[in-house]
Amino acid sequence: MNAIVICRDCDAVYRAVPLHRGDVALCRRCGAVLARHLSVNVDSGLALVCAAAIFFTIANLTPILSIEIAGMQTRANVWFAVRSLQEGWISLAAFGLAFTTFLIPALQIALLFWVLLFARTGRRAPSFGPIMKLLHQMRPWSMSEVFLLGALVAIVKLAKWVPISAGPGIWAIAALTAVLALLGRCDPASWWSIGSEAGT
Amino acid sequence: MIPLAQSLDLGLSRCRTCGLSVTRATLGAGMRCPSCQSRMEQRTPYSTEVTLAWLIAGMVLYIPANLLPVMHTSGLLGESDSTILGGILEFWRAGDWDIALLIFVASVAVPFTKFIAIGLLLFTVRKNSQWEQRQRTVLYRIVEFIGYWSMLDVIVVALTSALMQFQILGAAEPRAGIAFFCGVVVVTMLSALSFDPRLIWDRRS
Repeated sequence: MNAIVICRDCDAVYRAVPLHRGDVALCRRCGAVLARHLSVNVDSGLALVCAAAIFFTIANLTPILSIEIAGMQTRANVWFAVRSLQEGWISLAAFGLAFTTFLIPALQIALLFWVLLFARTGRRAPSFGPIMKLLHQMRPWSMSEVFLLGALVAIVKLAKWVPISAGPGIWAIAALTAVLALLGRCDPASWWSIGSEAGT
Repeated sequence: MIPLAQSLDLGLSRCRTCGLSVTRATLGAGMRCPSCQSRMEQRTPYSTEVTLAWLIAGMVLYIPANLLPVMHTSGLLGESDSTILGGILEFWRAGDWDIALLIFVASVAVPFTKFIAIGLLLFTVRKNSQWEQRQRTVLYRIVEFIGYWSMLDVIVVALTSALMQFQILGAAEPRAGIAFFCGVVVVTMLSALSFDPRLIWDRRS
């Protein structure tokens, strides 16, 4: 544990105090979150990651939306959405979409699983440092909640014209959003103390 | 309010990656964080310049994103190209004011708020202003938070094009505007991420 805490947004210096369950330390000057009591420990973190992996798989294997007209059926999930943007150089947008709604959430889940699996035994996973850095950098770019909202907008938008129905995928992506949000509450910064010389 | 010391003045430094507080004097020549080995910088180098560059790029991309059509639809009712604003107006006229508002917020209000907010932050930091430092920091956090919701329209267009594949009965295809719009989202997010909010609190002479 660090004895000194520095605010990420305004650089103010504080002495660390022990936090109790549910406590959040805020910066007195700018209101930024300085530290959180860990409500998600390694075991529940690992459970959440496994849940996220299951929901992610369901969301990508089952249709999120589908339309049926005169015996013809079309279905859409993250991959179908990405593929529909592959047209000439509009594919740049397909890249953007694939990264933010597929690749980055998938990597987040896989890397968190890797780190937490080793953390259970109090060890640092191989290449812990680069993985934690990558997780830190990927965080702003993970957009599964935006995809969920987009799917809901698409339903309302198209429901007037065609018989559109939501598939199991939409529940999976809603659950994935909730689980990823819960995982976001556990502060990866604190995991740096896992297996380091100072102990936890 | 109790005056709080800046880490800068106390010879301390915070690692932006892992949050560790370090005494600057103990850092080696490489300025690496002892915990995560990231490069430690007192302030993000060239923060305002990089932020401004991405901001201008975002504003430039925003023009074709709005002028060019984002989607082409064809069907029994004929063919049409729709732009982002056109799509919002269509919903509004059809009485779907709630969807119109949602897309308006995500595609127009959020990018505009970002342009104005980041512009304001850059201007006041350059002026070395002490005006409403706390509020400006909150503004930065808002910009950071709302950034990615603009991706909404890209997702709606992609899903619509994926679903509407019924040839003569109805088909939708993406158009160039959506790629520009995706560019706006990415570039303005990069702009917000390049801004170092600690500059708001620094007193430079």
